[in-house]
Amino acid sequence: MADQQSPQTVTLTIDGMEVTVPKGTTILRAAESAGVKIPHYCYHPGLSSPAMCRLCLVEVEGWPKLAPSCKTTVADGQVVLTQSEKARSQRQGVLEFYLVNHPLDCPICDQSGECQLQDFVFAEGREHGRGREPKRVLGRDDFGGDVLFNGDRCVMCTRCVRFMREVAEDERLCVVERGSRAIIDTFFDRGLEGSPFAGNIVDICPVGALISKDFLHKARAWDLDRTPSVCPSCSQGCNIQLHTRDNLVQRLKPRENLEVNGWWMCDFGRHNYEWMNRTDRLEQPMVEGRVTDWPRALQDLLGRLREHQGDVKAVCWAHSPNEEMGLLKALVEALGGGEILYRSPRTHDEIVLPGFPLLARRKDLAPNVKGAEILGFERVGDDEARGGLGALADHAGTLLVVGDPLVELDESFGAKARLFVHMASYPSRAASNAHFVLPIPTFAEQEGTYTNVQGRVQRFWPGLRAPGNARPGWMVLGAALAELTGGGAPARADQAFSLVAEAVSAFAGITYRDMGTRGALVNEPAGVAGD
Amino acid sequence: MAYPYTHAKEVRLLSKHFGDPEARTLQGWKARGGYQALPRAFELGREKVIDEVKASGLRGRGGAGFPAGVKWSFMPKERTRPHYLLCNADESEPGTFKDRELLRWTPHQVIEGMAIAAYATGAEHAYIYCRGEFFETTQVFARAVEEAYEAGILGKDSMGSGVKIDLTVHVGAGAYICGEETGLMNSLEGRRGQPRVKPPFPAQAGYMGMPSTVNNVETLSSVPFIVTNGGEAYRAYGTPDSPGTKLFCVSGHVRRPGNYELPLGFPLMELIDDVCGGMREGRSLKGVIPGGSSVPILNAEECRDCLLSYEGVVKAGSQLGCASVIVMDDSTDIVKQVRRMVGFYAHESCGQCTPCREGSAWVEKILRRIEDGRGTEEDLDTLVEVTTQMEGTTICVLSDSVAAPVKSSINKFRGEYLARIRTGEKVGAV
Amino acid sequence: MSESSKIPFNNPGWAGNTGEFDLTEAQVRGDDYVGKRPPEGGHPSGASSYPYMLADKHPDAPLFEGPYKERWEKLRTRYPNARSALLPTLGMAQELRGHLSPETLDQVAKLLDLPPAYVRGVATFYTMYNKRPVGRFLIQVCTNISCNLCGGEDVLQAFLNNTGTELGETSEDGNFTVIEAECLAGCGFPTTVQINSRYYENVTPKDVPGILERLKAQGE
Repeated sequence: MADQQSPQTVTLTIDGMEVTVPKGTTILRAAESAGVKIPHYCYHPGLSSPAMCRLCLVEVEGWPKLAPSCKTTVADGQVVLTQSEKARSQRQGVLEFYLVNHPLDCPICDQSGECQLQDFVFAEGREHGRGREPKRVLGRDDFGGDVLFNGDRCVMCTRCVRFMREVAEDERLCVVERGSRAIIDTFFDRGLEGSPFAGNIVDICPVGALISKDFLHKARAWDLDRTPSVCPSCSQGCNIQLHTRDNLVQRLKPRENLEVNGWWMCDFGRHNYEWMNRTDRLEQPMVEGRVTDWPRALQDLLGRLREHQGDVKAVCWAHSPNEEMGLLKALVEALGGGEILYRSPRTHDEIVLPGFPLLARRKDLAPNVKGAEILGFERVGDDEARGGLGALADHAGTLLVVGDPLVELDESFGAKARLFVHMASYPSRAASNAHFVLPIPTFAEQEGTYTNVQGRVQRFWPGLRAPGNARPGWMVLGAALAELTGGGAPARADQAFSLVAEAVSAFAGITYRDMGTRGALVNEPAGVAGD
Repeated sequence: MAYPYTHAKEVRLLSKHFGDPEARTLQGWKARGGYQALPRAFELGREKVIDEVKASGLRGRGGAGFPAGVKWSFMPKERTRPHYLLCNADESEPGTFKDRELLRWTPHQVIEGMAIAAYATGAEHAYIYCRGEFFETTQVFARAVEEAYEAGILGKDSMGSGVKIDLTVHVGAGAYICGEETGLMNSLEGRRGQPRVKPPFPAQAGYMGMPSTVNNVETLSSVPFIVTNGGEAYRAYGTPDSPGTKLFCVSGHVRRPGNYELPLGFPLMELIDDVCGGMREGRSLKGVIPGGSSVPILNAEECRDCLLSYEGVVKAGSQLGCASVIVMDDSTDIVKQVRRMVGFYAHESCGQCTPCREGSAWVEKILRRIEDGRGTEEDLDTLVEVTTQMEGTTICVLSDSVAAPVKSSINKFRGEYLARIRTGEKVGAV
Repeated sequence: MSESSKIPFNNPGWAGNTGEFDLTEAQVRGDDYVGKRPPEGGHPSGASSYPYMLADKHPDAPLFEGPYKERWEKLRTRYPNARSALLPTLGMAQELRGHLSPETLDQVAKLLDLPPAYVRGVATFYTMYNKRPVGRFLIQVCTNISCNLCGGEDVLQAFLNNTGTELGETSEDGNFTVIEAECLAGCGFPTTVQINSRYYENVTPKDVPGILERLKAQGE
């Protein structure tokens, strides 16, 4: 409302719509907020704005020349036209200039289907190119690390150079030569090896000039499903997308979240996805070593739990979602209480992204260490997440192992337990004494939440189908809990989380809806900063 | 006297001592009346100096023609951060060779102009960005700067006034685009010499982000006269909109090419026929580029009544630019020369902006094809449309410089292009 | 006045004598005024303004020692930060070594504490920094419009013929590399040719053999 306007906002008209934005906003961002997308290349919200691609030029009434919308700030009463004859012919002209040298590589270019040049030209480009001259040819250049560079396709937006300079603060790329001979290059054969964030330049390249070697010719962009998720490789909890096809993860890409990872993720997490496609999986519930079905297995399990209450020891791992961890704790309490351990791999250094320091490859190399800490679990094991389970190996009472694959342990583990339940994704020698071996999905195959190092609870969604009859850990634990306490068993992940939140003050009042795709901070205990 | 030829019609405010080796020494320059303006500037004070230069109407001599006094007045009056004065000696516009003469014959005139400008704009440090190719010229200038330091004209206490003026001679490395004021600042900062987006303007955020003024060598050389004799005295020459004198660089097909200092508003044909001795034997005028290769070409008809002032050349259909008059007679192969000029721009484009980077190379390729006899008439339309697509859409005006020769030559010499296209016939040999 | 039917005057080298002026070469070039500049730089104001194209090159010269180190330190004081001293530093490196190899760029980067890729990006932007070794004499013939109108391409061809080399290549004896140059700002003295750090003006094809002889004899 005009009368509510403070001097810190500006009202202007964009394509006939009145828009009010904070003072200092650029026309491009103001347009975005009104749902008007202005095509651009060199601008990126996480980088500087050089206004050099000239694609974002818009018409401002009363101005003799078109204005670069990524750089021009709004003014009261400005009338901006992004679809006028002048603006459209400007874009058409610039797109034609790009196509003068750009090769017709679409059939062999990985970017096809997610290429901004394709998209913009299809929307607004000329129908026929006028260029008849031979195009410049540069071929393929290995930039080191995971990055291949196709110079012919480069549109010289310099986002990659500026990312390395401004965000990674490790200037490995430069523009060499000038004019139409200008191209991106590394310092001779010193490439991108050793840069932990170089994979991001493949994300921000608007065309297929910078591509991932790992993804080269692997899958077509339009065949991929994209599922929002959270990176499980460390406790930073970068928001990511699982890109899947044929029920396999083909690659990971970061998702924007300015509170967590900006627009970025590290290469360590980016390339750590092959394990999600492992086929050596537990697929069917087993009781006393024999495959059975869930109803029988559950009935048997619930009976034995009622029988063997008390003297409980449990262990989970830092890949367990909050729902799984929380219901494990509740179950152990319902069984009379007992210690709950967890293991997590860890390294000795953090690798911060200097230009966006909220993001770091953290020391804890698993996604839910914070969740375990909040629930008061005790951390054991070494930096490889091995050892520390000596007390459980010979435990005679009830032994619950949830998630942890017990990789380094052998058939003697849990031999003495009167009730040994192993819920996991992968078969293990150490489970040969287990009375119950129950298959659970990985994080990629279920809905759930992780709590990151900042204390942000973030949701992830399933991008893969769990194999065989794997059921989420919270479902089994919730059913057991319901049986013992007489409450209702959660049938959905959000119900499981709410059930956990009732008992854990850090999660109190937070719902799946609150978290949405951006997450929510946990409640700090009173007296601790951040409440 | 202009060099290497003189003419009686010259008005020698700047060039009186061209060709006089003594004049470049400090002693010689003082003996010829130099270094009177600087003490006078200190007496007047910064504001009055700027007012005097404004009153003179001196327009930037580097090609843009922006009033120098007005540019100086943009600098913040309070010096809360370092100010810089940058002298643009990156003379690279084809057809221009006046700054070289000023630097090598009258370096102290330039130094004095720089010192006055630095004082007036509050700059304690001045840089002169000399084009890399000007080795010999820069040596001379550096020696003159050394003399000025030895004599206390530059340094902590300029001529006993208490004002600090430092001057550093900086050498470029071969890039036309560093003659653009923001490209110059980027190059001086040790970056690629790519122009910056304006706003912000140099007076707010220039060299190292500090308030800076960039002026051409000839502009600064004109300042001592103005400070000594007053702005009105400068207005005694030239026209009301284009006051003062200008060094006209005449090159190409005339008998006596060289620099000539004449009042602005001087008729173009008088310059060519009288001052420069006219066409060579048996030759007739085909066209003239009045302001360096970045401005439209004028055909012989348009030259006839053209007056060489900023407004006069606009009236004739071009721009004065840096007043580099390139004369072409009927032996000229317009197609080839336009291709060569566009090739220059394609070579010098910094590559930031898509229309210029791709467009200049594309236009050159089309022109080469036409020059080789493999062009089509459609190509002429493409050339006009593509260069129109380039104009006015980029960070600097190099795009517009590509458009100027192409559009004006296709418009006015279309017959030559058509002859080349239809029969491969070359009109003109050079 | 010279004859009416020829290109105005014909005085290769220094365009001194048109009949209106009577000057020696040293006077026109200013050599007598400048004298011999000391390698350690004279006054710091001019320390960055030495010619960086010399005939004698030392590809293994250190960056920097002795008088050159002194000169570099002087020029460094004239700039507010290390980055802005980059161009003069590259110029000095080329003065000593003749061209900017990858190793040279790396060493300059270390000297100024700048990323090597950044230094490469800057060095390749500018035409005068040689990325490959060149002959003892780099002959740059202006073929831009004013000189072109007055026969610049013939002069270029004459240089190529007389040195027996291809455009952009170095002659067999390692003496001459011939390239085209953009406008050298000597348009009133067509054709202008830059050879290392000297300008040769009013060059016509028949002056070329004499110039090459002079170079071989005098070294500049």
